[in-house]
Amino acid sequence: MELAVELPSELSALAERVAPLALAGERTLPVAAAFAELFPERGLVRGRTLACAGQAATSLALALAAPAVAAGSWLATIDVPTIGLDAASEFGIPLERVVAVRAEAARWPDVVAAAADGFDLLIARVPAELSPSAMRKVATRLRQRDVVMLVLGDPGALSCDGVLDADDVEWVGLGNGHGHLQHRRLVVEASGRRLHGRRRCRLALPG
Amino acid sequence: MVPARSAEPPPRIVSIWFPDWPVTAAGFGADVTAAVMGANRVIARTAAAAAEGVVIGHRRRQAQRRCPHATLVDRDIDRDAREFEPVVRGIAELSPRLDVVEPGWISLLARGPARYFGGDQALVDRLSEQLIEAITAAGTPATAVGIGVADGRFASSVAARLAARRVDALIVEPGASPTFCADLPIGWLQTLGECNAELIELFGRLGLRRLGDLAALSATDVLGRFGHPGVHAHRLASGADVRPTSTTDPAPERRLDHVLDAPAAQSSAVVFIAKQLADELAGTLAADGRVCTRLVVVLESEHGERSERSWYRSAGLSAAAMVERVRWQLDAWINLPRGSDQELTGGVALVRLVPDEVRADDGMQLGLWGGQSEADRQAARAIARLTTLTSDDAVTVPVWHGGRLPADRYRWVPAAMVDLDGRARAVSGAGTGSGPTGPWPGTLPSPSPATVFTEPHPAELLDEHGEAVRVSARGMLSGRPAILLLLTGDEATGWQRGRPRRIAAWAGPWPIEERWWEPGRQRRLARFQVVTDDGDGFLVVAEHRRWWISARYD
Repeated sequence: MELAVELPSELSALAERVAPLALAGERTLPVAAAFAELFPERGLVRGRTLACAGQAATSLALALAAPAVAAGSWLATIDVPTIGLDAASEFGIPLERVVAVRAEAARWPDVVAAAADGFDLLIARVPAELSPSAMRKVATRLRQRDVVMLVLGDPGALSCDGVLDADDVEWVGLGNGHGHLQHRRLVVEASGRRLHGRRRCRLALPG
Repeated sequence: MVPARSAEPPPRIVSIWFPDWPVTAAGFGADVTAAVMGANRVIARTAAAAAEGVVIGHRRRQAQRRCPHATLVDRDIDRDAREFEPVVRGIAELSPRLDVVEPGWISLLARGPARYFGGDQALVDRLSEQLIEAITAAGTPATAVGIGVADGRFASSVAARLAARRVDALIVEPGASPTFCADLPIGWLQTLGECNAELIELFGRLGLRRLGDLAALSATDVLGRFGHPGVHAHRLASGADVRPTSTTDPAPERRLDHVLDAPAAQSSAVVFIAKQLADELAGTLAADGRVCTRLVVVLESEHGERSERSWYRSAGLSAAAMVERVRWQLDAWINLPRGSDQELTGGVALVRLVPDEVRADDGMQLGLWGGQSEADRQAARAIARLTTLTSDDAVTVPVWHGGRLPADRYRWVPAAMVDLDGRARAVSGAGTGSGPTGPWPGTLPSPSPATVFTEPHPAELLDEHGEAVRVSARGMLSGRPAILLLLTGDEATGWQRGRPRRIAAWAGPWPIEERWWEPGRQRRLARFQVVTDDGDGFLVVAEHRRWWISARYD
């Protein structure tokens, strides 16, 4: 009965190869290689809400979103009228897949829910005056629709799966009366309940 | 085996094709090295740039490597349409029934005008004379143009493109379209956006390298193996490109018009009315599984001037595409030269959309680069939903505008007014030409600020002695900037100073003097980049002896 002994091991090897890998790939949006070590899954897991904070929060959000938008996803910004489109395009975001939405605070949960139906990525500011129960509904909706939301500024009552802190910015290229901004070195620290402890990475960002 | 042919031969059609129209519309002659970029790739280039090795489809970097001194500008589909208008008017004098397929591409039925002018050759001669006249009158740089005459739209389009590479026009004799098509490489189906790349590649792998090889197969075999896209390709390859039994005259009740009780003087008001009509029209057509391929747009002013134009799109016009056509037509009408016939002198009083050619929607909505993805369709639905949830102008998409200050470079336009399907190939901004080769000398080099304030923040810039720094008319500073203060409050209640922040590094001034010839809109300002000691970067602007923070590098 040699066959009976060998089959299970072969099967389990096969099952290992088939099952989890395909799923993990489906469930994440790609990020640039420099950010990969911030996330245990090496990408943005769909359905998660991440807060971007620190001095370079906006650039960090744009840099995180860029590979996914370049690969065909659409990006909506909600209540971020100040987004720098030149910077977005320099990070590699094709602007034809960027849509900006303005929403009154009272309408904000509805707008996010509607945007979650059609966009893979949201960059949003959260109005302060919303109740925790409305926020829980928003979070559930985002999880159901497999949308990644990057929150700029104070997330307020919205509970985030992780916080990415871009700080210790050091600009290169600008002198005392001469030169121009070229790039910057900074440290990004990821923490939060879904990110398994703290992870840090040091990287250089343009813009 | 004899390929299946429809009994009635396809109509004889003249196609006029300007190769690389976007680059001509941008104002570059054939002897200037220049290229137009869309989505960071070359989509059109001048003959001089082509001679230097710039190829359509190149990335910006590749194009710059081949030809470092080439001027690269971004695509602006509105500009293409605007600059094309004199050409359309010129041709319309000879043959009023013409279709604008896209800016740089016109087709018209040959039968009537050819009979009037005495044959295809005479018609083509008249057309090319008229074209040269229209182009020189409009001041557009001289450019190559191809005129092709053949049975059927497909053969005629190919003939025009082939003619653009030669000196004279290409006339395919009546009835000779099938033989003309048979010798063509199969890739033409993809070039003209009729088939997608995968199908063409598959044909190639199966050894069908010429259209004649495909036409020699039986239509039923092709249907069985490749489905409807295959049959469509087969029909075109056989030189019979009319979709049989589908091009019927539309019922008169399909035409939609809107009479404005109060004539609209604002073009956005007209566009919004056109949007309602287009939504209704596309909706009723879609309800019985049809799509409009040729749309006639009629606009009338309160003083009786009239603008009528017919627009063609082989993939069918979506509601948004119709609105975009109306916008182009309106733009052209408003910009008619003074004193010309039918010049617009009052508000618009009537908008009418007539679906002139309607066919069954067989789901072949292919764009030039392979059409829409599921993500695009979902996003379009979400945009419609968001617009109803909020308001028309709360859901916006960026459109390239141009300028030296970050806040000037893009405009946000309501998403409802833009054709989102067409947008994938009418990209407005990717890689916006900052840097020495770009079209906006004087923009700051990249990186660009990630936060651009729509309204600049008032600020103060002080030197070491606490005095406000002044910039003289010659760009000299009264002292070295040492402290940056943000101001809060407003003009009436007085400004409150925020926390002083020490400046660690700075550079400038980079002066801008814009529109000095126009008293109301002129601007004189100087830009500075400033980094505070805690690492925040700002773009600070001095204008009218005041300091403003116009953007933040965060």
